[in-house]
Amino acid sequence: MVRRRLRDGDLPFRVLALVVTAATLAVISLMMFDSVQTAWPIFQQFGIIGFVTGQEWSPAFTVYGAWPFLYGTLVTSAIALAIAVPISILIALLVTEILPPRLSQPVAIVVDLLAAVPSVVWGLWGLLVLLPIIRPFEHDVASGLGRVIPFLGGPTPGPSYFAAGLIVAMMIIPIVAAVTREVFAATPRLQREAVQALGGTRWDVVQRVVLPLGRTGIVAAVLLGLGRAIGETIAVTMVVGNNPLVGGSIFSPGYTLASVIANEFNEATETLHPEALIALGVVLLALAIAVNGAGLMVRRRFERSAGRGR
Amino acid sequence: MVAEYQTLLKPTSRSRRLQANLVVILATVATLIALVPLVAVASYVISQGAGVINLDFLTQDPPGDLSATGGGIRNAITGTLEMAGVATLIAAPIGILVAIFNTEVGGRIGAASRFIIDVLAALPSIVVGIFVYALVVVAQGHFSGFAGSLALAIIMLPVIVVSTEEMFRLLPRPISEGARALGFTRWRTYLSVFIPTALSGIFTGLLLAVSRAVGETAPLIFTSLGNNFFSTDMNEPMQALPLLIYRNALNSAFPAARDRAMGAALTLVAIVLAFNLLGRWLVSRRRLARNPGR
Repeated sequence: MVRRRLRDGDLPFRVLALVVTAATLAVISLMMFDSVQTAWPIFQQFGIIGFVTGQEWSPAFTVYGAWPFLYGTLVTSAIALAIAVPISILIALLVTEILPPRLSQPVAIVVDLLAAVPSVVWGLWGLLVLLPIIRPFEHDVASGLGRVIPFLGGPTPGPSYFAAGLIVAMMIIPIVAAVTREVFAATPRLQREAVQALGGTRWDVVQRVVLPLGRTGIVAAVLLGLGRAIGETIAVTMVVGNNPLVGGSIFSPGYTLASVIANEFNEATETLHPEALIALGVVLLALAIAVNGAGLMVRRRFERSAGRGR
Repeated sequence: MVAEYQTLLKPTSRSRRLQANLVVILATVATLIALVPLVAVASYVISQGAGVINLDFLTQDPPGDLSATGGGIRNAITGTLEMAGVATLIAAPIGILVAIFNTEVGGRIGAASRFIIDVLAALPSIVVGIFVYALVVVAQGHFSGFAGSLALAIIMLPVIVVSTEEMFRLLPRPISEGARALGFTRWRTYLSVFIPTALSGIFTGLLLAVSRAVGETAPLIFTSLGNNFFSTDMNEPMQALPLLIYRNALNSAFPAARDRAMGAALTLVAIVLAFNLLGRWLVSRRRLARNPGR
């Protein structure tokens, strides 16, 4: 039996596929292990909790704390989601529920093209065009609402968490919209038609069928968008302000995990500085796996329930 | 549920029609809002970059000093294409084999392999850069174009695996049964039937993966680093378009650096779009071929 399969080439083929797959997984694991090992002195010196919650980052004094960057990543991602999610859901509704098929395909493709713009080009445009445009807006909000809500207060130098969140929102809209589109398209036709037969308007179909049945799927889309938002690097680096302190307002200049790594890495000459940056990468890795893992799990659950016809 | 639907039986009132129209208006406005930045970026890059690009710009190397005028982006164009090419040579065969493995092997091992590919797809690209830095750059002791290619290959791999798996899954069953009836072994089936049949789909996945890799900046900072002269040696640091744009944009106070960033950005967008649209065009052609009735 074995000899026959060997002659057929079936066994060598299976072995080749197995070996290549196993080798790929081994190399990835090795890289992950190597990165954690490189960052280990930092975790040893400051403790994992101590490093993650550390408020101060001053390479000159060999003091490394990740909190200002973790905070920046969370704030910019939250701003990005607050802008991107409603817009993406509305785009998905337009494409699946409102437009005729002849028009919905081109609209979907054009929205997808947002994802084709390289991060560095978003950053270039953000730096030279968007920042000057939004600065008066930031100033108005800060001197109005900002007097009441410190989180929206001034000063407004321009580069800020808000600017970064805005750019990231544009970058994740195609991802969130694409997943939401699939979710809405999976709505069973029968239920849709039942509401229509009862004289329901388009709004009734959306409100009573499409949105309630798609709830899990929308959560998955949001988590996948969040996963992309926390890892966004170059565009954020160019507009976030690069300030290693926790900013009190969304208009303060700040830093994110990804942007501090990109910005300081090539000039990291102080003691343990490169190791500290890699440790920030490990924190980012853990965050990305947690968020995307949750997103994948929720998405699987949605697909299973959609597959059963609900 | 019945009671709820009974309210719908009332003749359509004016307010409910208004509500329905409101959704249409809101959705249209939201889509237009999302397209404003796309149009803004495209028109900005074209208007600022088109005047910069000429034959000299594409065929000369940049001056060592960012603020100096003159020179071009030749080394960045060749570096981007060379690293993307080598990355494709690494990622394509591995990706197709992993896709075959994932299609053929079920159970816990198959599920584990699929899960790891999903995780890989979700990794921030900067983390991939750190991975390659920790494994290759530290071991070699220097940055290199090869390390950059490896990082890009890891970014491309999950895209290729997922799209190829999808292609294999979409193949009509009679094709597989026909091959079996002819006495084909599994590997023969893949080599002579599945891969040729799914080729345009696999190729589409490849092109989309390349279009994503070509635009990546973050992983290259840790791996290929960039330089100011022309080099095709994969063992040396290598320049790339995104790196050149990034460094010149950060010095955009100098008119020369700003212009160079704009010209390079237009070149990069053109390359990305070329791969992206070619891939999409192949998809749409394949769809037409499968539903010839339409």
